Amino acid sequence: MGGRRLHGRGALFDTDPAGLAPRLVGLRPHAHRSTSYEHPGELPLVVLSGARGLGKSAVLGELRDAYKGHTPVALIDCEHTEFAAPPSGRPAEAWSPVSQALLVIAEQLAEPVTGAGRIQFPRLMSGLVAVAAGGWGDADSERIRREVQRILLLNESGSWVTGFAGRWAGRVAAKVVAAATGTGPLLSAAVEATLESLSDGFAGRRHQRASSWYRDYPNAGDNPQRGLILLSGHFRADGTSREHAERHLVRALLADLTDAYTGVLPRMKRLGRPLVLIDNAQTDPGPGLVEAVLRDRSEGVADQVAFVAAVRGEGRPALRNAVRRALPEVARGSDWAPDPGSASSRALLVSLPPLSPDDTLHIVDAVCSDLQVPPQLPHATHRLTGGNPLGIALIAESAAQNLPDASSLGELLTADLRVHPEHDGRPAYLELLDRLVPPDRLDELTVLAAAHDHDSACALADALLPEDFGPADVRALQTRLVREGLPEVPGRFVGDPFVRTLLLLRLHHRDTDHGQWRKAHETLVDHYADPADDPVRYRLHHELALGGTESAVEYLRDTFATLPTSTWLKSLRFIASAPYFHAHDADGRDFTGRDDRRAAVALGLTDADHEPPEGVDSALHLRIRRLLYAVWQLTDPLALPDQTVSQRLRFELEQLSNLRPAGNALLWRASRDWPVDALAGRTLHIPDDEEGEA
Amino acid sequence: MARGGVWVWLREDVWEIPLRRYLALLVTAALATGGYFGVSALAQDDRSCAPGVVRPENSHECVGVSSTDYDFDRPQLRDVVEAIDRENRSLKAGSYVTVALLEPFTASDPDNLGDVLHEMQGAYLAQHQANHDSNGQAPAIRLVLANPGATGAHWKHTVDQLERMAKGPDRLRAVTGVGLSTENNKLAVKELTRRGIPVIGTSITADDLANGQNGKDPFPGLARVSPTNTDEARALTSFANVTAGRALLVYDKPGDPYTRTLQESFAKLIEGSPYEPQPFTPPADRSKEGTTANTFRQITHLVCGTARGTDTILFAGRHTQLRQFINALGGRGCQDREFTLLTGDEGSYLTGDKDLDRSALTHKLSVRYTALAHPDAWAKDSARTGGSATDAKALDEQLSSAAHKPVGPIGEVSLEDGQLIIAYDAMRLAVNGIREATTDGKVVPPLADVGLQWPQVKGPLRVNGASGWICLDAHGNPYDKAVPIVELTAEGRARFVKIAWPEGKPPGKECLPPS
Repeated sequence: MGGRRLHGRGALFDTDPAGLAPRLVGLRPHAHRSTSYEHPGELPLVVLSGARGLGKSAVLGELRDAYKGHTPVALIDCEHTEFAAPPSGRPAEAWSPVSQALLVIAEQLAEPVTGAGRIQFPRLMSGLVAVAAGGWGDADSERIRREVQRILLLNESGSWVTGFAGRWAGRVAAKVVAAATGTGPLLSAAVEATLESLSDGFAGRRHQRASSWYRDYPNAGDNPQRGLILLSGHFRADGTSREHAERHLVRALLADLTDAYTGVLPRMKRLGRPLVLIDNAQTDPGPGLVEAVLRDRSEGVADQVAFVAAVRGEGRPALRNAVRRALPEVARGSDWAPDPGSASSRALLVSLPPLSPDDTLHIVDAVCSDLQVPPQLPHATHRLTGGNPLGIALIAESAAQNLPDASSLGELLTADLRVHPEHDGRPAYLELLDRLVPPDRLDELTVLAAAHDHDSACALADALLPEDFGPADVRALQTRLVREGLPEVPGRFVGDPFVRTLLLLRLHHRDTDHGQWRKAHETLVDHYADPADDPVRYRLHHELALGGTESAVEYLRDTFATLPTSTWLKSLRFIASAPYFHAHDADGRDFTGRDDRRAAVALGLTDADHEPPEGVDSALHLRIRRLLYAVWQLTDPLALPDQTVSQRLRFELEQLSNLRPAGNALLWRASRDWPVDALAGRTLHIPDDEEGEA
Repeated sequence: MARGGVWVWLREDVWEIPLRRYLALLVTAALATGGYFGVSALAQDDRSCAPGVVRPENSHECVGVSSTDYDFDRPQLRDVVEAIDRENRSLKAGSYVTVALLEPFTASDPDNLGDVLHEMQGAYLAQHQANHDSNGQAPAIRLVLANPGATGAHWKHTVDQLERMAKGPDRLRAVTGVGLSTENNKLAVKELTRRGIPVIGTSITADDLANGQNGKDPFPGLARVSPTNTDEARALTSFANVTAGRALLVYDKPGDPYTRTLQESFAKLIEGSPYEPQPFTPPADRSKEGTTANTFRQITHLVCGTARGTDTILFAGRHTQLRQFINALGGRGCQDREFTLLTGDEGSYLTGDKDLDRSALTHKLSVRYTALAHPDAWAKDSARTGGSATDAKALDEQLSSAAHKPVGPIGEVSLEDGQLIIAYDAMRLAVNGIREATTDGKVVPPLADVGLQWPQVKGPLRVNGASGWICLDAHGNPYDKAVPIVELTAEGRARFVKIAWPEGKPPGKECLPPS
């Protein structure tokens, strides 16, 4: 029953005890069984927040699948092209994203569900006809018929007299077209024809009530026809007048829904609440819809529609006063109560957390059920993605398609992934970047991902990006990333390690000779040429990225005795976090094989061939070299941690602790913790160190 | 999985939705109720046989009053039942009154069933004559068949039904038939007359199923067409000239009304006889064989042991026992001695009895009995009053028209046992009474008035029956009714011998019973 379920979203979908969705909708997911409401009176407008790839769309899709056929459900994606611009031939003054969204939402909500038939939207229908009629000044009758027919179908009853009802829409359309193309005032003629169609003939009490609904429009003077004409005028006027009209259209939708749930018979036929899902609500028409609903609710125009919107980022500033909860907090109860004075407090902002290592394991197991998966792969996947659901899903999919030919995570990311069976495959990291990064800034971000702060980013932009991309644009991009929900991390221009890794991977593979990659790192090496303490680590980090290990070994060897042990360990960890995308040969050049030479060096297999420089403690030099390679390999998010290398790491750190009595305890502690951390896919923990960045 | 699917469907698509839940509960309740009544209706035995005819509890017999073409599952009755039904259905609503023929239609032995058939034929012919050949006299007569069961055990059920028909739109005005003089029939007649329904007995001859015995009228409204046993015995003795010293009495003990009457009449005739009357005890159902054959063999020894002058045996018993006795007499020791066996109208059954040893009749044994009627009676006898050949011929004409459509067919016709003739006469008497009771301008006579007509049937108002004149005395009994004496032949036929008269001679022309 129900198909694939989402992992790690039990707080939303659980049935026993009921998660947020069942408590809100009043129905168990994927079943026609009612559960009790958490908010029987006024209910919160739930807004899911999170960065790209955290599974907001997946959650909304799952909500739609869970309730489709059981209660009226509508799902719109505000980034869909149909909401971006009016359809061809339709003037902008008679169209807005909100009016289009209302039409689409109502069309989806109208579908019959178990136990009850179609929902009719006479109020919304008349409103939309009035709005559309505002743009018929020079329209031909065929276009008018096309537009009005779609709107009129909102009032389709779909009962066993369907034939009759279908004819109804056709007849009214003909009447409206005739009225609109005839002489005399076009708008009022169309409105009159529509209203008449509601109140004439077989119309029941519901339609009578609906036809007089617009008499309450401000200044309508108890005349619904006048109300509709005013609405149409406001809509055409644009600006705040249009917002006012749009709010009334939203109210019309909600009033139609309320009407469909009122009365003895509907109550005996319908379970739960209708559900409206708005994806990418940060884009128009999302804010307009959400704001209209929140404002009506705060003004006491009650409705019983369950809204779940998804916004990228944190949802500020429109939802300034929204009640904020993390998803696990709402598993049993949302503890939400509206603040009477504030419209935005009617919203409940729920942030989606990353998935846990266990969820990662479950997803990989589920996707690769028939394959022998390397035991470290799920943990490594979680370490790489930081629990990003999209990342986990696509890497697992890539593993299912490419195992056992590709074994490391790097290979899984660069291997071709076919997302749709009928499409050709593309490298997995490109698929991921398409959906995790603003597509319009992908190229810039690819370059800037190597940067650590604003200055280094500007240096990179100067060297590698077109001239028109200045420091102001760098700052704008940084702000945008934060607004989209990516974390701000000191020392990293792109705060999210997973996205950063993917961007660097793209930078590396951008051209066959890795020219941009090299140039970016060389720029940064130059940028950090100043031999002050901190920049040295950055310089060494980038040199290592280019394959140059000597300076790093030298630096670590020489500072081993001088730097405080914890600082030294941090330096080691930071320098060794340099990306290692391709195998490099001994001279740091591209090596086309799959061999990862770091393990060989770490295990001391190359010591014989390596000549330590003159006049240094060659044992220490070799040990530091092996240690650097071991940490480099073990902390590489794209490589699977190697068991023997981790044992070697432990041994090397133990030996070092003997060499340095002052830092003995710290080194010894690290010799115990680091191998375990590395194998578990955690950040290497430095004792007495706050969790965090180097 | 499929069960789970159904369960989930019931749980989610029906139970969860209040409207469907309540509808489903309603439908379930309706189905349960319907199922309950359906099952109990199926479980309940259908005890109906035909309209008006049912099987009572603990019985397989179909009893009650049939007014359709139901033939009581007796194929012999099929033709006449259909003829009666045709006639009934041809009647205009409101123009008729109903007469019931009370007979044991479900009798299983061929003798009784033959009687029933003949009585039906007679009653039908009289009905047809009344409706078609009576100069448009009103009312028309509808004939229904009332079955109290083969032994009359269900008489109460049938009587109740007849009473309802008398009070209801059927307008039952008389019951004819009754046939044998059994205890059940006596009770039935008593109850019918007590409830005010006139009864016309056809072949009942028992004295205690008649009014006027010992000056009492226990059956008000009962009229009879056949003479009483006493009258028959008187007629028989007037014919036979029996004296005490030359006759031996054999009788049924304990007997039924018929045999007892006959026994008493015989006993009176031969008072002072040197021979002890010889009893036999038959089974309760006297149509069964029982063990009486042995008793009769004993009695034949006694017969042979009588003085040589003794040549008459008087038999007071039913026909099965009569046949056994005749068979026993056929094998008697004293074949050289000549005997005449005299008995009542039960002898008429022997004409069709296949178990009768007919050779017995060739060994100096002649069996003579009083018949209720005989087709040859008026053609061969010389009597000038008490009946006429013309009256008998009227029935013959009816019979010949009933041989084919539209009147017939009415099944196999036999006149020799007299049942047809007597039933015809009884029905004519009933029609006569009904029409006499109908005042001018009315169609339907009051029920009570029909029974009051019987004493008027005399003199010029007598019924000129095919069996002879029917002049009723004040008690509804026929006065000096012609009694044909017949002899059973070795061919199994009833040979007419002579008409005998209870009074010793035919009645006068005026036919007025002494008051």
